[in-house]
Amino acid sequence: MKKTKLGEFEELVLLTVAALQEEAYGVEIKRELESRLKEKLSVGSIQSALKRMEEKGFLTSEFGEATQRRGGKRKRIYATTSYAHKVLAEMKEIRAGLWESIPQLAHQLKTI
Amino acid sequence: MSDFNPIKPPQWPLKCLRFFLKREYLEEIEGDMEEIFHEQVERSSPQRARRMYTWEMIKLLRPILIRNLKEIPTLNQPAMLKNYVKTSVRSLMKNPVSSFINIFGLSVAIGVCLVVYSFIDFDARIDQFHENKNHVFLTTIHANRDGALQQYGTTPRPLGEMLRDDFASISKVCRIADESVVLKNGDNVFPERVRFVDAAFLEMFTFPLQWGSSRSLADLNSIILSEPMAKKYFGDENPVGRDMLMVFEDGRTKAFSVAGVAAPFPKARAIEFTFLVNFKNIETAKPVYDVHDWSEFLTATLIQVNNPADVSFIQQRMERYKTLQNEVQHDRPISSFEFVSLADLHQRSGNIRSCISYDENREGRIGMPIIALFMLILACFNYINIAIVSAAKRLKEIAVRKVIGAHRIRVIIQFLTENMVVTFFALVVGVAMGAFIFLPWFVQFSGWELEVMLWDGKFWVFLVLLMFITGVASGIYPAFYISHFDAVRIFKGTLQFGKKNPLTKIFLGIQLVLACMTITAAVVFTQNNHYQNNKSWGYNQHSVLYVKVPDGPAYEKMNAIINQNPDVVQLAGSKDHLGKSQTPAVVHVAAGRQYEVAEFSVDADYFETMGLQLKTGRVFKKHSRSDKKCVVVNELLVKNFNLENPIGSQLEIDSIKYEVIGVLSDFHANSFFIEMQPAIFTLALEADFRFLSMRVNDGKNREVLADVQKQWTKLFPEIPFQGGHQEDVWGGFFFSVDRSEAFNKVIAGIAVMLACLGLYGLVTLNVSGRLREFSIRKTLGAGVTNITSLIGRQYLPLTVVAMIFGAPISYLFAKAYLNMLFAYPMPMDYSGIVLSLVILILILLAVISTQIRKVLKANPIDGLKSE
Repeated sequence: MKKTKLGEFEELVLLTVAALQEEAYGVEIKRELESRLKEKLSVGSIQSALKRMEEKGFLTSEFGEATQRRGGKRKRIYATTSYAHKVLAEMKEIRAGLWESIPQLAHQLKTI
Repeated sequence: MSDFNPIKPPQWPLKCLRFFLKREYLEEIEGDMEEIFHEQVERSSPQRARRMYTWEMIKLLRPILIRNLKEIPTLNQPAMLKNYVKTSVRSLMKNPVSSFINIFGLSVAIGVCLVVYSFIDFDARIDQFHENKNHVFLTTIHANRDGALQQYGTTPRPLGEMLRDDFASISKVCRIADESVVLKNGDNVFPERVRFVDAAFLEMFTFPLQWGSSRSLADLNSIILSEPMAKKYFGDENPVGRDMLMVFEDGRTKAFSVAGVAAPFPKARAIEFTFLVNFKNIETAKPVYDVHDWSEFLTATLIQVNNPADVSFIQQRMERYKTLQNEVQHDRPISSFEFVSLADLHQRSGNIRSCISYDENREGRIGMPIIALFMLILACFNYINIAIVSAAKRLKEIAVRKVIGAHRIRVIIQFLTENMVVTFFALVVGVAMGAFIFLPWFVQFSGWELEVMLWDGKFWVFLVLLMFITGVASGIYPAFYISHFDAVRIFKGTLQFGKKNPLTKIFLGIQLVLACMTITAAVVFTQNNHYQNNKSWGYNQHSVLYVKVPDGPAYEKMNAIINQNPDVVQLAGSKDHLGKSQTPAVVHVAAGRQYEVAEFSVDADYFETMGLQLKTGRVFKKHSRSDKKCVVVNELLVKNFNLENPIGSQLEIDSIKYEVIGVLSDFHANSFFIEMQPAIFTLALEADFRFLSMRVNDGKNREVLADVQKQWTKLFPEIPFQGGHQEDVWGGFFFSVDRSEAFNKVIAGIAVMLACLGLYGLVTLNVSGRLREFSIRKTLGAGVTNITSLIGRQYLPLTVVAMIFGAPISYLFAKAYLNMLFAYPMPMDYSGIVLSLVILILILLAVISTQIRKVLKANPIDGLKSE
């Protein structure tokens, strides 16, 4: 956990990338997250999260197609690495474990 | 493609984006941004989309996305700038003499600029501390006097009350009348000027009190003191509740209780007060006081309005007051009223006569920035000259830089940076010099309480601007000049440098002209000072004493006692007195024309006592009743009125006809700053005598005055003695003449020093550049004359040309300067110019001869070994 340094927002972006598969490029990720989080996000926040995770080895990327809408500029399609999957699974496990311990904790608190 | 909307994202955010984003991310992010932009255009409006685009662009400014600054060649300056600063500091250390001249010269100029800035800033702040300055207005009148429209700050007595009653938009009115009284507190008895004001005075003006309440001004028995007056009468203790006795002109008294003491006034002020009492007390001060008398004038009437825009409305409705006024004062009609806001009053008061505000700074506002500019130009020229000549030593450096790949613009930037470093040092030294040397000196000698406003943002803006303007102005030409040389030619050594640059000579020439101008100003002012001191006043002021007396009986008593003093030659009584008091009178001449003249009511002995010269006719006879309808006039009046046969002609004053019986030579009743006025002398009644003048034996002035003072204290212990030497009646005149002389000497000193420093630096650099040449000449047998003529030849033609231009310019400049300051300036001759040229030449010779001496004394072997 300590080595991975995956922030909360980064984790959300990473999950979105994983979910979108072939469609995972900047604008689509932003759109998807905005609809799920129900709030506006800036290009800058998404992009900096993507670049940071790419540096940390959670993501790889390659150029995709260019469209007229993009002024002839190519998309960059992101893909999750196996390392990212491992970390995501670890995090999920840790969270699940924590969730399971909540009722017990609550019970203990009552008895005190 | 055709279905695609043609709206483009805004251009400048796009450019920013391309500029700062990392290259490898640019395509992706630019594409994303454009896609989102078009989405926005479809969803809302293009404007909104553009706004969003810009906002998104700004939010893209994140460390991880923007490129490393070191990669950007255009912004790759910090390292280079560091190098420039380093080389400039090194070259400064290498040439200590020229660096000193540059930095010292610039800092002197900057110090002078600092003083000028403080002065201008001080002047602009005068009376601006009043909270209601935009709502308070002074009532002024325009009247036709001697053919010209003149504005006056005084107003007819009843106007204030009528304004208050007639206009709803006027919220407050304050009348001000200044009266001379004597104030007493125990043994402290002094003659004072007291302001009789309406209670609104302290509400309209922002003069907070340190003790007491400002409301007490409404109380008839209260008096409010200024801080220095409280100290003068009561020392440091709180005087509120203490009593003061006011003695009015006719000897009646009234006791007042101190109700307040004002906090020290701000330094930048023109309007102030010493004592305030309620206006109604004026009826006590003057037994026959008619508030409704339109022929009498008040010191000032101020109004306060809630909305400053109402004033023009009020001004349009002033016609009826004008009619009322002119019915009473038909011989001095006024043409209009005008309201002047308190915020503008100081700046305009130079054109308003008898105004409660005053403006002594008008010449300073014009002159001081000119002086500052002079100094800056001198210092900048020094810098330019020395920079160009000293670049000769650095040509190789420039060539190497160019060969390595520096563009010309880089070399220019390098030299400008160097210049900024010099200017920065100069700024630090200059501000210190200005604040600790020039400003205290200027304050001491001018009396203006200037200060450096360190906490004022404007001051820092001024300093930064000054640094950049000076830095660029002095550095831009050398930078362009030095950078244009061809590297190959520099290396080959075929470059003929510096010798044929005409601009260096022109700059030095202009410096010499400026130095010539300032020296001339100093010389001429010294001469003028001498002239003013010896200029005749038109009467014998040296052996005359005067004493102010409260009334006729007091005059009688004093007269009887002083007559016994063997040193008193002659005595005279008068209602007015030259230099102390005169009454304005309006004289009607036959053709219905009228002039304002100065009236002096005197007795028959006055002329002889004062030593006034009679030109034709006679003066008053002693104990003559018939002379009551006679006047003695001065020559100026005869000239202005075009009286062909002055003796026997008639003058009409206040509908009474007077006959002219004598004409006096012109005399200066007031100082030489003020132009002479046409004057008339009328016979005074003994009961009206207010002055006693006496002529004493030569050299006995002091003793007689001491004796008179002693007698006075015996006779009138209650009344402070007011009198003195006639020579002193012009008060500050000679002081201010001395002051302008001292000022011009200092300015000339600084200017000459700057010019000399420049010349010295130039000659030094030139000589050291030709050291080998001189050494070879010396070994081959060149002597003193040869070397001297070689160096002198370079500067002689230039000096001659500079003086040919400089002399007439200096002459005209000094003349205009004198005429601006003095009503009776010294008639200019050529001695001043000649003297200043001699001074300048001597200084130049001294500077050049030090260098010649150095060359002559140096061992030629050392010169040949050098390089």
